[in-house]
Amino acid sequence: MGRTVSVEIVYRGIFQKTLAKNISRGVVLAARRGGKVGIAFGRYGDSPERNGVPAKNFAIVAPDQDELELSMAQYEPAETDVTIAVDDTLCKGVESWAWYGLQPINQKVRPDGVLVVTSTLPADAIVEFCHRKPFPYRLAVIPAIPSFSGLWVYKNDHTDVRVLGTLAKVCPELVSLEAMLAAIKEEWKDDLKVTSARRAYEQTEVRVVRPDEGNPEVPYTFTLPGWTAMREGVTVEGMPLGAPMRVGGEVGGYRPARNPYFKKFSTRTMRPVVDFEKCVKCTLCWLQCPDGCFDVTPEQTYDLNADACCGCGVCAAVCPVDDCITMVNEAAFTDHRSQWERYKADPAAYAAWVRGMLAGQSERSHGFRYRGQYQEQIAKLRAGAGGEGGGE
Amino acid sequence: MDADAAAVQAAEVEQEALISGSEAVAVATKLVDVDVLTAYPIRPYDTLMQYVAKQIADGEQDAEYIVAESEHSQFEIAKHASAVGARALCGSSGVGWCYAFEAIAVTPALRLPLVAMVGNRALDDPGAFGTEHNDALAARDLGWLHVWVDTAQEALDTTLLAYRVAEDRRVYLPVAISTDGAFLTHSQSLVRVPPRAWVDRFLPPYDRGKLVLHPDNPITIAPQVNEDWLMEIRRQTDEAMRQAPGVIEEAWRDFRAIFGRGDGSPFFEEYYTDDAEIVLVGMGTLSMPVRVVVRKLRAEGQKVGFVRVRWFRPFDYEGLGALLSRFAAIGVVDRDFSMGSPFHSGVLANEIRATLYAQDRRPPVASFISGLGGREVTIPNVREMFELTRRAAESGAAPRDTLWIGVRS
Amino acid sequence: MDSSEMTAAPLPVLEPFKGVKRVPLEEYYTSGHRTCQGCESALVMKLMVKAAGPRTVVLGSTGCMYVANTTYYSTPWVVPWMHTQLGSAGSAAVGTAAGYKALMRKGKIKREPINVISFCGDGGGVDMGLSAISAALQHTEYNHLILLYDNESYANTDIQSSGSTPYGAYTSFSPAGKAKRILHRRWKKNVAAMLAAGHSECRYVGTVCASYAVDFMNRIRRALSIGGPTFIHSFDPCPKGWDCDPMMSHELGELAVLTGIFPLFEVLDHRLALYGKSKQIAEGRQKRLPVRDYLLKQGRFAHFTDDDIDYFQAKVDQMWTRWLVPGVLPFQADILGDKPPA
Repeated sequence: MGRTVSVEIVYRGIFQKTLAKNISRGVVLAARRGGKVGIAFGRYGDSPERNGVPAKNFAIVAPDQDELELSMAQYEPAETDVTIAVDDTLCKGVESWAWYGLQPINQKVRPDGVLVVTSTLPADAIVEFCHRKPFPYRLAVIPAIPSFSGLWVYKNDHTDVRVLGTLAKVCPELVSLEAMLAAIKEEWKDDLKVTSARRAYEQTEVRVVRPDEGNPEVPYTFTLPGWTAMREGVTVEGMPLGAPMRVGGEVGGYRPARNPYFKKFSTRTMRPVVDFEKCVKCTLCWLQCPDGCFDVTPEQTYDLNADACCGCGVCAAVCPVDDCITMVNEAAFTDHRSQWERYKADPAAYAAWVRGMLAGQSERSHGFRYRGQYQEQIAKLRAGAGGEGGGE
Repeated sequence: MDADAAAVQAAEVEQEALISGSEAVAVATKLVDVDVLTAYPIRPYDTLMQYVAKQIADGEQDAEYIVAESEHSQFEIAKHASAVGARALCGSSGVGWCYAFEAIAVTPALRLPLVAMVGNRALDDPGAFGTEHNDALAARDLGWLHVWVDTAQEALDTTLLAYRVAEDRRVYLPVAISTDGAFLTHSQSLVRVPPRAWVDRFLPPYDRGKLVLHPDNPITIAPQVNEDWLMEIRRQTDEAMRQAPGVIEEAWRDFRAIFGRGDGSPFFEEYYTDDAEIVLVGMGTLSMPVRVVVRKLRAEGQKVGFVRVRWFRPFDYEGLGALLSRFAAIGVVDRDFSMGSPFHSGVLANEIRATLYAQDRRPPVASFISGLGGREVTIPNVREMFELTRRAAESGAAPRDTLWIGVRS
Repeated sequence: MDSSEMTAAPLPVLEPFKGVKRVPLEEYYTSGHRTCQGCESALVMKLMVKAAGPRTVVLGSTGCMYVANTTYYSTPWVVPWMHTQLGSAGSAAVGTAAGYKALMRKGKIKREPINVISFCGDGGGVDMGLSAISAALQHTEYNHLILLYDNESYANTDIQSSGSTPYGAYTSFSPAGKAKRILHRRWKKNVAAMLAAGHSECRYVGTVCASYAVDFMNRIRRALSIGGPTFIHSFDPCPKGWDCDPMMSHELGELAVLTGIFPLFEVLDHRLALYGKSKQIAEGRQKRLPVRDYLLKQGRFAHFTDDDIDYFQAKVDQMWTRWLVPGVLPFQADILGDKPPA
């Protein structure tokens, strides 16, 4: 009769809300065609979503209603057969609305379960982002630029059906390819989408991730206190004031205190890179940053705090100097080191690093900038990938 | 009344004043030096604020007196004043209390010792001015302390007690003082007004400590939570409510020592209960006709008594349970309704039933709904209720469903 | 000092910041908030308390700047902060200011200037809380600032239309459907002018946009130091609800001003003045940009036809060419002659 299969979709709040919903609905509708029952739902604590802040959707499929009830009236399953990250930078770990601390992307993946990631990076690079697990699991990478759009206009680049096609391959007990394709056909009434799903099924490769592979760091956690330890009156201590920066012998500028319980960096998909040689000290990046993530250095330049930055790009947008602040794909970074300290330690090496960062970075975007943009992007995708992607 | 406050204080003797229950609360706000009062008109609550307004206008009271643009604002203003460490008072009646319900609901978790007077009034529709307890009772489960009074004297005294209990660090919860519309709010009687010096001995200053909203105390109050937190926060409010009975007893002892009033339990008043076989139980001014009938029936040789519940929250289930289990039958008189509830009772009757369930001896409980919309509970009404209760005692079983007394059929 | 000055709460002295380089480094609102990428309202919070300084308490009514901004244990606030209910920005300001005033007068706390700022979103300020704000602006004996951060929808609850949502915008309560392209047919309320016109004792009402940060902060400082109740309406681009790239928040704020959709003005002691780019537009020194440049950068207007855009443009043109006070007061007898496209 089969067993209950749990699918988790980790996504960027708002930008991928429709995408995640399409996937979770697609799973349940396809499983229905195979005679099973299921539920599709979002992690309630993630709602209301915020742009970029990691969020989760789930699809749970069971052989019958009685089995399904074991998985109902819960916010999320304890473990998953498949976890899908529709953005590769999520593989660095997720800090969401719904919990405190950083969750590894593969936290819920069961032994021999599978992590599916959409990325233009090779599988080996993705493995390096993911925290280690004590048992082997599988990884499937769907070659794609992570699909971002907004709340009202959907970018129909077929990422939804490519993920669904891949699911039929990596988790055949969930749904057969035939049932999946039939469900896609019925839901979207679009033969091109059926073709995209089939291609993903045929082309996606799966590799095993061993326990000795991946990021060895232990992600930060938060222990929930009991009611006797919590302050009364629904109060918490405010944040302390900041202080001047102390770097080596230099004292000056200002570093705000930063809340240790929500760091926000896992929201980021692009990171500002500051070319300190070009900075004219206009203050705008610092002043206009909604997250207060720039430290004012003793030299009155502005150094990004990579724990606090959520990568919105406002600093780059307001900077009046060309190429002084550039948004670079977060996947290109391996640490949160201070850019200014790097620059001070070795200006020439820093300049070379900045040049390297700006060159050859893969494309990312944050959704809607003008009407017609998605159509242009999809046309470009099609031309570049021999018919991969589709839509609109 | 209203002799020069300074003279009263110097004299350290009580003065007698002819004032209503609402006015007694207004006088109490002067005695406890309330800092912020908010007003919005609805009968009968407005009688309190009219009196305050006069005290302010005449320079007898030093407070921020704010006429708000709605009950919701009235309660929000008072709530926020309380958060900065100011002693505050507001109140309402009937649907006005309902209009403020959002503010009423959020105040207990914030642990704000706001005191409110409810001039009990029937809920619309149809609009009616008379007393009914469903307004205050709508907020019975939220963490407000609720107390019902039956005289203007008790209204004054209870206001002093309310601040003492609410502002106790172990409690820090708001208190609603219920006064029956018309019978208390619009009827003046002789009240002993204590000197300010006695009140100062009884009531320490309001000290909000590390919960105060002030630039010297950088805290964040009431941030948003998810399911990881709310049970713990509710449990804290629950704990404060569990602490309240002990604090009320302490305050009651001190009150008696300083003011020379206040016998027996602070939670309920007993009238001819010592050797009573049956009793009626109720809240508020229905005590008046009931006491009259108790005396008449006693004169006729019937062993009847009356128990008037003062503090409805916290509900003294231990004390009331022990007391009520003694009797052969109990008749509960509700000046409220709880449509569709077990036995179609009022609210109090089912609280009493629940209380008795924990007792080894469970006398029959007859439940009555009477006096809705301010209808008088008459002497014949009370006689009828005692008679029905007596029959329950004799037969060992009360009528299964609630009886409406004084309704035209 | 007469007796009324003795009893009034003292006021702070807050001189304007003379240029961006004179802005203090201290932050009284820092990281820890869970707002969207590019949240202009979070920036508004930061600039608001930066302008106000450390002797400030902030009251926040329900909305994004409560739910996203101030979650348990991850508060961004250095200064004291307290939640108030959705419709209570006005009442919270009054209660807090009244509490301090009473305690200071009675000698129960130290007599000193304390800035009381109460904020609300457009749901709290333009819809539900308008009545309480109006009442608060009448109580001239209390010093406080009510700041409306207007992101033009109930953004926290997933973008439902409010009285401040612009005509035609796609929201979750006004989707563009197969039968009806436009469900939200209300024109945005002109709330700052309404409050200024209706509360003649209120000494400061202004509109601001955080894209012009120094102007923004100096208006906060002016409102806090002038005395009595004051009101500021801030125009806040919202990447989530407006469906735009978060890096465009700043640009969209500028475009709203440059297209004339959101005029910057202040009413200071009854004297009305447009300022910044809006003043230049009124004086003909700044060309008013077409609204198309603003609308088509946002997914919430992506369903607009050319007729819709023309209608929007005509309504904005009216503000500048036919209103009694351009951009501010809409008294003009023939406005009702214009109808939206079917």
